[in-house]
Amino acid sequence: MKKIHELHEHAADFLAREALMLDERRFRDWFALLDDEIDYDVPIRIAMRNYAEEFPPGAFRIKDCKAHIQTRIARLESDHAWAEVPPSRTLRVVGSVMVDATERADVIEVVSAMILYRQRGHDDPGDVIPVRRHDLLRVSEDGFRLLKRKALITHAVLQTPNLGVFL
Amino acid sequence: MINYDLIYPGNPDQYLDDLCERVSQGMDEGLLPVEVFRDDAVFRAEMERIFTRNWIFVAHTSEIPEKGDYVLRRIGIDKVIVTRDDDDQINVLLNHCRHRGSELCHQDKGNTRHFKCPYHGWVYRNNGDWAGAPHLKDAYGGPLDKKEWSLLRAAKVEAIHGFVFASLSEDVPPLREYLGGAAWMFDALFGLHPDGMKVLKEPERFVVKADWKSGAENFSGDAYHVSTAHLSASLSEFIPGVNQVSSLASGYDFGNGNSFIGHALPELIAPMFDLWGYPPEYRDQFDLSQLDEVQLEMLKKVPPTIGTVFPNFSFLRFPQPDVPGAMPIPFTSIRMWQPVAPGVMELWNYELEYAFLPESFHDKAYMAGQFGFGSGGIFEQDDTAVWEGIAKVAASPWALSKGMRLHYQQKRGGPDPDWKGPGEFHPSIYGEYSQERFWRRWVKEMTEGKRASKHAEPCDDQGGCQ
Ligand code: FES
Ligand SMILES: [Fe+2]
Repeated sequence: MKKIHELHEHAADFLAREALMLDERRFRDWFALLDDEIDYDVPIRIAMRNYAEEFPPGAFRIKDCKAHIQTRIARLESDHAWAEVPPSRTLRVVGSVMVDATERADVIEVVSAMILYRQRGHDDPGDVIPVRRHDLLRVSEDGFRLLKRKALITHAVLQTPNLGVFL
Repeated sequence: MINYDLIYPGNPDQYLDDLCERVSQGMDEGLLPVEVFRDDAVFRAEMERIFTRNWIFVAHTSEIPEKGDYVLRRIGIDKVIVTRDDDDQINVLLNHCRHRGSELCHQDKGNTRHFKCPYHGWVYRNNGDWAGAPHLKDAYGGPLDKKEWSLLRAAKVEAIHGFVFASLSEDVPPLREYLGGAAWMFDALFGLHPDGMKVLKEPERFVVKADWKSGAENFSGDAYHVSTAHLSASLSEFIPGVNQVSSLASGYDFGNGNSFIGHALPELIAPMFDLWGYPPEYRDQFDLSQLDEVQLEMLKKVPPTIGTVFPNFSFLRFPQPDVPGAMPIPFTSIRMWQPVAPGVMELWNYELEYAFLPESFHDKAYMAGQFGFGSGGIFEQDDTAVWEGIAKVAASPWALSKGMRLHYQQKRGGPDPDWKGPGEFHPSIYGEYSQERFWRRWVKEMTEGKRASKHAEPCDDQGGCQ
């Protein structure tokens, strides 16, 4: 495995390219970046005084495996996914990237902050979806694969009417 | 964006009288004036005339199993604390201090014996009673009356199969009587095992720019939209037959804004999908001895799958795969259409399941429900989008100046004359009869509520302010 600072640079590059791919709605290219074991998790958050209690165990808005994501993409491609007709115009800004080694030699942990700006419909003001991502990336010969994403949305009450976009 | 309302000659009171009249007459013709879906006066009147004087669902008992447990909920636009007090009684309390009105409860859930106000430190017991204040002797000369200065408390709180409803008005019939035929439906949906249902996880909440009534009305009887609005579920091959869903749907209408859709699931999917397709090893443990013959027949042939209890409680129980390609299993989702502002709601969605079922089944049902009907649900996403347009046309100068009315004129096959259960059973869901009843109930509450709210007394004594 490469040195962690090298990996940091590569991971940040991976996240930036991934963000561009999603903004350009190249969902099949994005799908190819997902590990077969992908666990894509968007927990439910509640207002609590202790941070540790803000995410009730096992409560999620979304918890997808690869087959779920495949269905979501097929849905978006159907042209009848009305939540995304016309598709949201998005900008994902990714920063505060931190990389750490894990117990597994081929897996690194990448924590980042992501602000997703989403303009739906035609002329409505856009929604902002702020997210802290906790990712696991698998390091392979041909680059990274996204193995796990836990997307912690800052809102307890979501301020966008649906999660028709990937976080 | 501007919340456009028509400039109306006359005061809001007259405007509302006139609107109720127009909705009522409109329903005689199968037409609904668009402005009901987004209008300041309508919204204000709904808060006073509907939400403060009807039974409103607030929580399920399984969310507050222990003494001291509480959850923060809503009744209309008010935040209320639903507590299980030290005497094991459930209370529904306004989340505002009686001294100057600050908010007391600052978490979505928890366990406590007391709520302490952050402003001057008044303290209340978890049943709402006033319990103390700092510097008591110097500031007040002694304790205040604990009932007189208790938190405002819902006049009535009752539960049916664990579903806790509260009424801020004393003047309501007992819950079962009030629910009428819907209570009979609750028995068939939620009363199949002595251990009852339990909430699996915290409700998820999301703001939708649509009126609360769009969701309530949809769940009261709109199976028609499924083959268009949810066609992507079929095109993505997740649920191939989704475009057949409205043809094999029926209606159970209790005539008061409480109505249910039923689906001939054994016909629609496969014979084993009677009883919503609960797996045989589990349904053997159901105790159906409390059900009458009509209910038993109903669960076998056309189980209730979707429904609304006026004003803003809906449910959904439908078989769906937890993972694409898997065998469909039933999940049970409760939805609340929480009004926030004219044309804006918070959608609350949570999954319940029979408590006796193993955790592995709970997990699958939770997955199935959230994948279909959570904020990222592949069905519910599209509802949030189509309902937005309704709230927009309700504030359209063009539509309002032309008196635009929406179409409620589907062909009606009529109710089954041999139906032995309460209310009416309509073999076909086409006809929009349940939606019509929803709007007639709305007019009734908006009209009767006007008289009631005129007589509101100043609140200067009891916590209940009756
Ligand atoms: S406002 Fe609560 S103690 Fe003063
Ligand atoms: Fe729908």
